[in-house]
This record gives sequence, C-alpha cells and structure tokens, in this order.
Amino acid sequence: MRDITLDVAAGSFLSIVGPSGCGKSTVLNLIAGLASPSSGRIAVSGEPLQGLNRHASYMFQQDALLPWKSVAANIGLGLELAGTDPREVRSRTAEWVERTGLRGFAGKFPHQLSGGMRKRVAMAQSWIVDPGIVLMDEPFSALDVHTRLRMGGEILNLWADSGKTVVFVTHDLEEAIALSGEVVVLSAGPASRIVGRYAVDLPRPRNLIDIKTEPRFHELYAAIWRDLRGEVLKSYER
Amino acid sequence: MSVSLRAAQVALAAVLLGSWEAGTRTGVLDKFFFSRPTDIGARLVQWITSGSLWPHLATTLAEAALAFAIGVSLGVTAGFALGRTRWLADLLDPFLRIANALPRVVLAPLFLLWFGLGIWSKVALGVTVVFFVVFFNTFQGVRDVDPVLVNNVRMLGASERQLVRHVLIPSALTWIFSSLHISIGFAIISVVVGEYLGSSRGVGYLIAQAEGVFDTTGVFAGMAALAAVVLVVGAGVNRLERRLLRWKPRASEVHDRSERSGI
Repeated sequence: MRDITLDVAAGSFLSIVGPSGCGKSTVLNLIAGLASPSSGRIAVSGEPLQGLNRHASYMFQQDALLPWKSVAANIGLGLELAGTDPREVRSRTAEWVERTGLRGFAGKFPHQLSGGMRKRVAMAQSWIVDPGIVLMDEPFSALDVHTRLRMGGEILNLWADSGKTVVFVTHDLEEAIALSGEVVVLSAGPASRIVGRYAVDLPRPRNLIDIKTEPRFHELYAAIWRDLRGEVLKSYER
Repeated sequence: MSVSLRAAQVALAAVLLGSWEAGTRTGVLDKFFFSRPTDIGARLVQWITSGSLWPHLATTLAEAALAFAIGVSLGVTAGFALGRTRWLADLLDPFLRIANALPRVVLAPLFLLWFGLGIWSKVALGVTVVFFVVFFNTFQGVRDVDPVLVNNVRMLGASERQLVRHVLIPSALTWIFSSLHISIGFAIISVVVGEYLGSSRGVGYLIAQAEGVFDTTGVFAGMAALAAVVLVVGAGVNRLERRLLRWKPRASEVHDRSERSGI
C-alpha cells in the first residue's frame, strides 16, 4: 500500500471495498496493531498507536473461536482474560448468549454449531468486551446469502446507538452500501491507494431486505461501481 | 464398537488359537518350538495362582510408569521451550536428529553400567524412547497453532501467559494425546527390552529366564501377560482421551504426524 490517509470518525460505520489482494485486511491489521506500517503512523483518538490497539476488537474472516472452549467460554473469554469477576463474566455471557440468539447452545463446542451460529459466537466474543472500535474482516464471506443478510442486520442492531466505530472490510459492494455510512474503495494492489470515498446517505434504521430495491441504493451502487470496476479489471490483468 | 464386530474379533482369535492348538496336537507344529495355547494358559494360571507373576509384573509396570512420567515431562517441557524459541530449536535440531536416530537398544549396556542392574537402567532406556515421541509431538503442536487463534486471543487482551494457557497448551494437548498411545506402548516395550538384557526382576527377566532353558511355553506366557497389560492400559488412555478431548469432532481424522521412533 502507498500513500493511504484514512480518517475514521468516531461512531461511524465505514466499509472498505476493493479487489482481492489490494490490502483491505492489511488496513485492519494496521489499525489493530497486529501489523506495523513500514512508514507512516497510526493514531487512535489522537494518540499514536504502539503495540496492539487496546480500544479495538477484531472479528476475523476465518474461524477464530477456540475449538476446545464451549460457546459460553468463548464468548466470555475477553472478560475472563481481563480478570473480571467470574460471576459477572457468567451473567454478561448469559446476556450475550440471549442477545445473539444462542440460547440452548451455551454448552456446545464450536464444531457442533452451523457456520452462521459460529459467526454469532464470534460477534458476541468481540462485542462483549465493549470496545470503542470494532474491526471486521469479511466476517460473513463464508456464509450463504440469506444468513449473510440476517447477520448484517444483527450487526446493525448491535451498532445502532452503541457509539462504536466499525471498520468493515468486504469484497461485496452491496453489503458495504447496505450496512455503512461511508464506503472507501481501494485500488488494485500492489501499492494500492484510496480511489474514492463515498458517503452513503441512506436513512437509518435500514431494512436490509428491502434496501436493495430503493432507487438511491442503485444510484450509489452505480457511482461506486464505476470506480471499483476499473480496479477489479486491473486486478484481473495482473 | 458394534456387537457383530466384537464377535468377529473373538471368532478370529478363536480360529488362530484353535489352529495353533490343532497344529501342535497333530504334529504339524513341533510343541518344543511352538508350545501350545492350552499349555500357555495353564502356565499363566499357575503363575497367577502361585502369585509368582505379580512381583515381575509390578516391577515392569513401575519401571514403565516412571519412564513414561519422566519422558513425558521432559518431552513436554523441551517441546514447549523449543517450540517457543526459534533459535534454540535451530541450534539443537541436528543434535536431536542424531540422538533420535540412535537405536536405543545399544544404550542398554551403557545404562546397565551407569545405573546398575536395578530398575533405573530400564527407566533410563524407556525415557530415551518416550521423550522423543512426546517431544516431537509437543513441538509440532506448539508450532502448528493456528495464527488466527493466537491473534484473536491477543486482540481479546491475553498476556503471554494467558496465551500459553488458553491456546498453546490445549492445542499442544491434542498432539501430545495422539502420541500417548505410542509412547505408553514404547515405555512398556523398552523397559522389557532392558530387563531382557540384564536384570533380576520383571517380565523381560521372566522371558529371558524361560528362553535360557528353552522353555517356549514360559516365553509365550510372558508375552501373553504383557499383551494383557498393554490392552488394559490402552483402554484407560482411550477413556482419558475421550474425556479430555471431548471438544473434538468425533469423525475427525486422527492427525498423528508424530515422528515415530523405535527401540
């Protein structure tokens, strides 16, 4: 990546789209502090980032649940690691189990769940620690279309009025527009840069089932796709 | 296991033992060289009723248990240390390969000189075998941890120690377990080999004594006693494994990429 300047307003929902291999995940890793830039700087709430970003939680594209821990233990892991009182861990975990529709599955192990349910557990795991920033790297790419739509809705419900900043990486432009307040398009790699930023002025709360039929959605889609299309074609050539 | 499979296994054993018995009765097999199942059974019963088997079996089991315990603790410790410290692993790599390539049986006379005729020379021999099986598996387990799991747990706020406890140990445990069956078997085999080569007690000693007077029945009876012990211990490990690894999918492939090592 080269010459990327990206400021994300606190409390906003921003999506990053771009062709495969353009470094979308790298942006998230940089914000998370899992990777450090070869030059340039990352600042969180105005302070330069050193080491891991303690304000952020990260929902990975791959399955990142601990297979040897039950659903409840996975969800409560962040609290447990922080040394929270076990009773509070239990009650808050139970609350998140309810909230993510996992009632009756708390004692199951990840391999006993469907893909969609595993993503719910991962969602609860990253939101329970109440981070200021939530990073999501194509969290639903392994799911079928309908489950994706549902999970997108659940993310929006969690985010609404939470005041949290969400940075959401996806290769699916429709998903990006439907969910976010702003879409950033990255160019094809290597040395990718920001091609454009688009404010998504669709009203909230959004109904993800019907939003794709709205005229404004199509206008935005067409406008952003004009930029993205060129980059996707370029990435094919390479 | 299904009942019919179990019945088939029993039937197969009956056919094998039956034809062995029939062979020695009809003179196809020479009883002097091959003994006979009924004689072997009678000898075992005699050993058990007279109580003469127990001290030998107890010695062998004690040696194997010690070899196993020491080998596993050393193997796990070394596996973790080298799995977490790249330069140490690179430094020791050729030496470990050389040591593992060594046929352990040639060490037995040395151990006899160093540790005497008692149990410790056998324990030492067992440790050299168990250590490498467990070490290589632990090392792999620590090295092969999914980096996404590590990143996820770190992002959730884990310290280095918490990372070891919540991710590395459970991950390595699956590998260590896949090597337990092998290492317990090896522990028993190697202490018996040690006893066979020089001792005054143990099942290996029993077999060596019988062999010294061309008592094939005694040799087979000693082998049968060992086999029974290995079966019982193996069943115990299976139960423990099912309990500790109950989070694993049932039909999962048994990943046993352990570097096998022999006596």
